[in-house]
Parts: sequence; C-alpha cells; structure tokens
Amino acid sequence: MWKATIRGLLAHKLRLALTALAVVLGVGFVTGTYVLTDTMNRAFTDLFRDAVAGVDVYVRSHAAFAGPSAETERRPIPERLLETVRGVEGVRVAEGSVAGYAQLVDRRGKAVAPMGPPTLGVSWTTDRTLASLTIRAGRAPERPGEAVLDAVSARAHGFGVGDSVTVLFQGPTERFRVVGIAGFGEADNMGGATLVAFDLRTAQRVLGRPGALDTIEVAADPGVPAATLRDRIAAVLPPGVEAVTGRAVGSEEAKSLQEALSFFRTALLVFAGVALFVGAFIIFNTFGILVTQRARELALLRALGASRSQVTRSVVAESAIVGAVASGAGIGAGVLMALALRGLLAAFGIDLPSVGLQILPRTIVISLVVGIAVTLAASVLPARRAGRVSPIEALRDAEADRPTSLRTRSFVGGIGTVGGAAALGAGLFAGAGIGVVGAGVAAVFLGVAILAPLVARPLARVIGAPFARLRGLTGRLGRENAMRNPRRTAATSSALMVGLALVGTFLILGASLKVSLGKAIERSLRADYVLTAGSHFTGFSPALAERLRGRPEIAAVSEIRIGFWRKPGSTSLRMVTAVDPATVERVLALGVRPGNVAGLRPDEVLVSRRAAERGRIRVGDRLDMEFPASGTAPLTVAGLFDEGGLVGDYAVSLAAYGRLFTSRLDSMVLVRAAPGRAPGEVRGVLAREIGAFPSVRLEDQAGMRRQQEGMIDQLLGLVTALLGLAVVIALLGIVNTLALAVFERRREFGLLRAVGMSRRQVRAMVRHESVIIALIGGVLGLGIGLFFGWALVAALGDAGVTELALPTAQLAVFLALAGLAGVLAAVLPARRAARVDILRAVTVD
Amino acid sequence: MNTTEEKIVARTEDLVKVYGEGSASVRALDGVSLALGAAELTAIMGPSGSGKSTLLHCMAGLDRATSGRVYVGDVDLGSLDEKRLTRLRRDKVGFVFQAYNLVPTLTAAENIALPMDIAGRNPDRAWMDGVIEAVGLRDRLRHRPAELSGGEQQRVAAARALVSRPEITFADEPTGNLDSRSGAELLGFMRRSVGEYGQTIAMVTHDPTAAGYADRVIFLSDGRIVDEMRAPTAERVLDRMKSLGS
Ligand SMILES: Nc1ncnc2c1ncn2[C@@H]1O[C@H](COP(=O)(O)OP(=O)(O)OP(=O)(O)O)[C@@H](O)[C@H]1O
Ligand SMILES: [Mg+2]
Repeated sequence: MWKATIRGLLAHKLRLALTALAVVLGVGFVTGTYVLTDTMNRAFTDLFRDAVAGVDVYVRSHAAFAGPSAETERRPIPERLLETVRGVEGVRVAEGSVAGYAQLVDRRGKAVAPMGPPTLGVSWTTDRTLASLTIRAGRAPERPGEAVLDAVSARAHGFGVGDSVTVLFQGPTERFRVVGIAGFGEADNMGGATLVAFDLRTAQRVLGRPGALDTIEVAADPGVPAATLRDRIAAVLPPGVEAVTGRAVGSEEAKSLQEALSFFRTALLVFAGVALFVGAFIIFNTFGILVTQRARELALLRALGASRSQVTRSVVAESAIVGAVASGAGIGAGVLMALALRGLLAAFGIDLPSVGLQILPRTIVISLVVGIAVTLAASVLPARRAGRVSPIEALRDAEADRPTSLRTRSFVGGIGTVGGAAALGAGLFAGAGIGVVGAGVAAVFLGVAILAPLVARPLARVIGAPFARLRGLTGRLGRENAMRNPRRTAATSSALMVGLALVGTFLILGASLKVSLGKAIERSLRADYVLTAGSHFTGFSPALAERLRGRPEIAAVSEIRIGFWRKPGSTSLRMVTAVDPATVERVLALGVRPGNVAGLRPDEVLVSRRAAERGRIRVGDRLDMEFPASGTAPLTVAGLFDEGGLVGDYAVSLAAYGRLFTSRLDSMVLVRAAPGRAPGEVRGVLAREIGAFPSVRLEDQAGMRRQQEGMIDQLLGLVTALLGLAVVIALLGIVNTLALAVFERRREFGLLRAVGMSRRQVRAMVRHESVIIALIGGVLGLGIGLFFGWALVAALGDAGVTELALPTAQLAVFLALAGLAGVLAAVLPARRAARVDILRAVTVD
Repeated sequence: MNTTEEKIVARTEDLVKVYGEGSASVRALDGVSLALGAAELTAIMGPSGSGKSTLLHCMAGLDRATSGRVYVGDVDLGSLDEKRLTRLRRDKVGFVFQAYNLVPTLTAAENIALPMDIAGRNPDRAWMDGVIEAVGLRDRLRHRPAELSGGEQQRVAAARALVSRPEITFADEPTGNLDSRSGAELLGFMRRSVGEYGQTIAMVTHDPTAAGYADRVIFLSDGRIVDEMRAPTAERVLDRMKSLGS
C-alpha cells in the first residue's frame, strides 16, 4: 500500500502542489506572526535592558499603573531629593532627569507625528554609565537654546548639527540649535519615538518641571548590590516616592510591551486562522476530486484484496505527507514574511536594534502541528469515501460523484447553520464570549458549505443566465459545466465565500459605524469648529485655548482632555474624558439627566446612560476609580448623560482631571462662533491662531465627520488587506478545481476543438465557468456577510452603533472583484484546456 | 483511376506520416495519393495498424503530414496556420468518431447544432429538420447523451456532421461500437445523405458489410494504397480482404 501512496502522490504532483500552496500560505501566516512578534519582543526587551544597563536604582514617584499616553503618568518629585539620594552610602553617582511632551516641527512647518509611538523631550544625562543615549555626531546639549535629536528624526527630516529646529511643548513653542545627533545604544531611535534632548535646566523649564524631577538615576559603588542600595535609598525617601532597581524597571517596560504585542499577535493569528480555514476547504475539495478521479484505481486495489481501511489509510497518509511538506515550506515562507514585515517597519521609521530573527522551537512546533492537523482534518471525509469505493467500480465509467443523501445533507448542513447562528447570537447578545462567536461563525460557514451543493445548481443557472444569453455557446457551456457537479462547484465557491463573507461583514460594520458616528456628531456637536491633535494619544498646549478665549468672533471655547483609569484590581483600561463644566454645554449636547454638568464638582463623575445600564450604576453611587499617578479615588456619580461619540462613557470636570492626572494637554478644543459672524471670518481667526501650534488640526462639523470616517476607512482597509490572503487562497482553490476538471474533460475539449471550436473559444468557456463559480462564492459570501453584519451591528447597538447601513456600492464592487478573481483563476486552466491534444482526445484508448 | 470529369472534393499527394524518430519511428503513411470525388461514399479498409485513422486525421486537418500535400477543395492544408485550420474544420469538414462524439452537457439538438453555434451562425432550419428526420431522432432531441443508446449517439453525431453541410465528412469506424441493426440504420442514413443530398463521405471500417454501402473501397496496407474497388459488395470485399491477408 505504501508504494501505491507514494506513486499516487507523485502522479498528482502539480495538483497537490496547488493544494499544498494553500497550506503553505496559511502556515506561513502563522509562522510569520510568531517570528515577527518574537523578534520585536526580543528587540524591545534588549532595548529596555540596554536603556537601564548602567542604572542600578531608579527613584520616582509611585504610580498605580502606566497608561498608553505619551505624557508621563507620574507626578514629579522635588529636585532637592537628589541631594538626599546622593548622601546615601554606596551611591557612586546620582543624576536627575525629566521627560515629557516635545514635538518637532519639520522644515515645512508641519509637526512630526509618528504613527503610534510618542514624541518625547528629555533631559540629557551627563554621566556616561547612567546614560542610555549616545552621541553620534556633534556634542551633548550644555546650555539653553541647544538640543540633540535622535538619529532617525534627524535623517528623516534633514536636520544636521548647526541647524535650528522648532519644538512644540505644553507651554510656548521654542527654537533651538541642533548641537548633536544621538542614538539609542545600537538603534537609531527608541521604537519609533521622536526624541529631543536638552540640558537638565532647559528640560525642566520647557517640559514644565521647574524645581522638579521625574526620576533620579543612581549607580552604585563597586561591590554594592542594586537591591541593597535600593533598600537604603528607600529608607530615606518621603511617602509616595519609591526606589526600584534598574532591572525591575527594564522588565516592567518589557512586560507592558509584551502585552501590547500579544494583542497584535492574537489579531494576526485570527487572520491566519481564517486563511487556514479557507485552505481546509481547498484540501477537502482537491482530495475529494482526486478520490473520484482515481475511483477506478482504488477499486482495482480493492478488487486485488486491499481492505477498506487500507485504502482509507493510504489516502490519509497521502494527506499527512502533503500536510507535513507544505507546513515545512510554510515555515520557510513565514520567516520570509517576517523579514519583509521587519523591512516594512523600518520603512515606517521604527528602527529596531539588530537582533536575529527569533525562530523559537515553539513556533516550529505550532506551525507544523497546525498545518498537518488542518490537512488531515480536511481529508478525513474524502479518505473515508475512498474506502467505500466498491471493487465493482473498477469496471464502470467513474465520472459522477456519488451524492450524499439529500436528507442527511440538509439535516447536517441545517444543524450547522442554525446552531452556528445560535452560538453567534449567544456570543454577541448574551455575552457568551468571543470564543463562542468564533465557533458560531465557523459553524455557519461549514453549515452553509454543506448546504451549498443543494443550491449550487440553481444558483449557477441564475448567475450564468447572462453568460448564456450574452456569450452564446461558450457562455452556455460554461454555465453547464458549472452546474455539472454541484458538490464540486459548491466546495470551490465556499472557499471564496468565507473571505467575502468576512469582508462583507466588516464593510457593513464600517458603514454602520460611520453613519452612526455621523448621526451622533450631528446630534451632539453644537460647536462650529473642533481643534484636535494630529495623532491619537497626544494633545496640545492649553495655551491655544487661552488665546482663543475672549476673542470677539468666538462665543464659546471649551477644552476636552482624556485620560485612563481602571477598576481597582482589573487590568483593562477605560477612558475618562474631562470637560469644562462652565462651557461644555454650549458646544456639546450631553443630555445630562438627572443632574447637570454646570455644577459638576471635582469629586464627581458623570456616567453615560449605556455604561450605567451595563454596570448597574445609579446616581449617587460611589465609583472607585484607579488612576495611574494618583491611585484610587472614590468619585460620586452625579448624573447620567447620552453618549455622543466625542465623550466616552465617563466624564469628569477639568478641575478633577487636574487633581487626578499629571498631564495638562488638551486633546480637543471645541469652538462656537459668535452669533452674526461670517463662518469664513471665524475660520480665518482660528487658522491664524493655530499657526503657532503645528500639531493642531482645525475641522468644522463636516470635517470632523470626515476625519472620523477616515479613521474607520483606514481600519477597514487594513482588515480587508489581511483578509486578502484568505481570498488569494480561495483563488488557488478555483485554479485547482478547474485544472482537475479540465483534465477530466480533456476528451470533451478535444471534441469541441475537432469540430471547429477555436482555442480562444475554449478559453472563454473555461473562464465563464470560473467566473460563475466565483460569483456563487461571492453571492453566498455576501449573503452571510449581510447576516453577520446585521447581527454585529445589532449587538453593538449599545456601544454606539445605532444605525444599520448597507454599503451597496462597495458590496457590488467586491462582488465584481470576485468575478474578476474568477477570470484570473481561469487563466492557467483555460490555457491548458485550449492546448489539449485533439487526436488523443478523439481516439479510443 | 479517377474519371476526370468527376469533381474532386479532397485529395492527397504523396502523403507521408512518420511517428517518432530514429529507430523507434513508424511510417504510418508511406506515400498515399488519393482523390475523393463529390457525392461519393468512400470506404477505407485495411488491416489494423495499416494507417487508416492516420490518413483520415491528416485529410481532416486534425493532424499534420510529415511530407506530401492534402487539399480540401482548393485549399492546401499545409499552408494553413492553426486558426485557419480550425476554421476549416468548423466550416468545411464534418466528423463522426468511433466514440466520444458528443458533449455530455448539451442535448441532442444542441449537439447537432454545435458547429454552427461555434461559428455563431444560425442553422438552416429546413435543412436541419430534414437531417433530424432522416436520422430518426425527432423524439430524442431534448435528451442528453447519457440518456441515449450508443446507436442513437452515433446518429446524433452523424446528424451533427451533416447539418452544417460540410464539403466532406470523415467517419472513423462509426459503427465500430454498434450492433448490426444500429449499424445498418447509421449506414443507411449515410448512404442516403450521399445519394439524396449529394454529401461526400469518407469512412474507415473493418466491416465488409459496411463497405458494401460504399461507392468505392480503398485498401490500405503498411501505409500504402494497395488496391481499390468500385461498386463493392460485401462478398467481393471479403474476398479481397482475405487475399490481403488481414
Ligand atoms: N501517436 C502515435 N505515435 C506513434 N505511432 C503511432 C501513433 N498513432 C499511430 N501510430 C502508429 O501508426 C500506425 C498506423 O496507425 P493507425 O492508427 O493509422 O492505424 P489504423 O489503420 O487506424 O489501425 P486500426 O484499424 O487498429 O485502428 C500504427 O503502426 C500505429 O502504431
Ligand atoms: Mg484506426
């Protein structure tokens, strides 16, 4: 039997290669994800380790946790503590440092805003053992007016030693002379962050820390262990200030990064899972077709005395070998993908220290196991069917698949679909969890795929009707061929269905989100103009709002700040918005009821109606909120408000924010024009005023909407691109099925060629079949997508997605793209069909 | 041996076909010169491996000769590129093979109209009706090949070959898979289409009875024409075949 297995593999090399490619891509995605995240992890861990290498002990104020904001979450400590620390026995050297928001302005006057990483201003550490920055060119900053830039920013924006540079702060903007370019150990910057370093005095002034420090870095005398020194220093510190070993700080930072990366990894793995799921359809289909085509051969084996289980086992063995080989290749492909992605990150200005790609044994094991398991699982049914081939079939013409009984098929498929939908519902509406949602989605796909052969024929008839009418004979034959073997057509289009269903789901979700946000802005935004910070987690100086206040063209100016908090004991961060109680209602319709904003006290919080409902919070309740810098504070719920899109679920007053957070940056300033002023006039005033704040963007209501929509579109684009791989794999499936069908029908093509059909016509015929199959996948997929999208939107109703929107044009575009995919998939099989040897086809063998 | 006043529909000049190369090469046709007259049913006979199918394939533009010439009408097939050759097959030549004649997804009627469909021409209704009537398939038109008997399938194939009124129709053992009654029906139809409609048919057969339907029989052996016979009868053909030692 082994000989037969190996021969079988070799005889179908090309076909199996295409199948294997589906596994290779899926496994590659898995491997690539692990390798990339492991590599980044390692790189950053090294980076943090290097950064703290020379520091034995840090002294800083205590913080409950670190939020995602660029602004430091810790309160400053008094500068005089430095003398206290220096006096501790065993301290060789101690130096104070500050860090905070500082944003570079490039040569064209635009604020430099990396996507994600922070923009930092720091003080230059003079002691070489303590410093993590090293001078690459020029010298360290020594006096006011001097600055050092990180090497990536300097290179990217063309700043050299001697140039002058504008830097934005919470306070007034200033100009500096670049005296040096610095690197971060081996790397040219720190994980994509932009960095400007000043001498300590200057840094304290521009970063808003006069007479204060953020941390004190300490190196121990030789022979004094870090832990000992830490304890000695801790003993002399006032309450609220802590001493931590450098090692602890390094691993703390590495850990928070690992958490962020693990989220990223999980997201990527979900897409890899989708790709593998689609791959499974293709494996299932190919093995099914191969078993059918080899029915005679298998029957002969049976006739010669092979048992059922021997035949089944030989097919399973075949698939195991394909799975193993493909997974091996997939691991290679994944490593290449990781390399390419790392290159991409570098292109985005995220310079990682040069560590080798991290290919951990765990990655290889998972990739192999997943690849082989998926292949085996998908080939179980075809293998069992192979075992059921009866010896007598050796004598019969074996073209037709023996159909599963209609009743079994409808029953199993129906159960899958309905059960999946139920699980989906339970996950989305009854809070059964994301795992249940995923299982439900998979079950719906499998259920519909099982049912699909029942509808494949009528669907092909309807979808193929225009082809038959407009394309004449080739269209008619293409349609007939698509209808010929509904099971095969269904399995082939199911692979594409999965990708398109998910794309459709996200398109609907995105469109609904946009409409909902638009409605929310329309409903709640009373401001005429909104000033926002260019990137997400930074803000801009409150000096801007100060300058706008009191201008005659402007009726109201209201600042909004954001911060993060968590429930004590929980790790998930929530957002809190700070508003100005005196002015916010002139620019935002919050719909506070009961209670009112104007009277909001610093120890009170407003909760959105939906969060109150979900968390069973009532007016008058005490809400314990833990903040990064200030720790846990009890706030009283003073009222409930309608969520408006701009303010999240929790709102406090600016006064409370000042008490609870260290940041003083505005994330948004809402402006209402004075009555009777021409819009152009007010806009002009604002445009002039923000001239001094290059990071600030000015939007009117429509612009605000466009900005929000743009963000959604960006995310949608990313998701669609990631689903693209699943679609590519589905295409491979169509190519494979068509190639197998062409091989089966070579006689027929030969006959058609003999009676005068041109090659072009033969190609058109195959192409039409392919497009019809692809469109079936598209129609089924978008149908499921419609359902998923609807369910998701309904489930997210209380998360602010209040409107269901159907992006008909986009959905139509994707359906058309599916058809186009069909055209592409047909290219090679069609060429083969057109090349069949006429004589071989028409002579009896 | 052809009478010169007869109109020639297809002919070959010194046709040679060699398969393979070197010591393994087979000379399937070894200088065949032959002319097929209009409105004649010609039977081609000979022992297995004598080159009958090869001759038919070369004359029909399904295969290219190694040397020598093939003409259909005035057209030298050797001068045609792949596209023109395909068009010639579509418009000027009809085929009936031993088996696998029909496209399984098309009905009998659609199979009959296939060459014209391929060409995008409308079939001549009256002529098509006549052909269908003549092959006796009126009540089978909506059936697919899988639902037809072997004899019916071959008659559909014959109807397809004739419905586009080709200049010449080639048939390679069209009755090879049929019982004698179905075979007789098919041969009767072919005979009539030559006699009544002036069609030209060349047919390969092993069956002396089938050859008895022909106007003329050509005998091939080892790739050469070794004899021919006009107005054959089954007995005379049988005798001749015995003398050829097949
Ligand atoms: N494709 C090919 N490659 C090599 N040799 C071939 C090929 N086709 C035919 N031959 C050889 O050419 C010779 C003539 O073959 P052909 O098929 O024309 O014979 P035939 O007279 O039709 O025989 P039969 O009565 O058995 O059908 C034979 O010796 C055959 O082996
Ligand atoms: Mg032959």
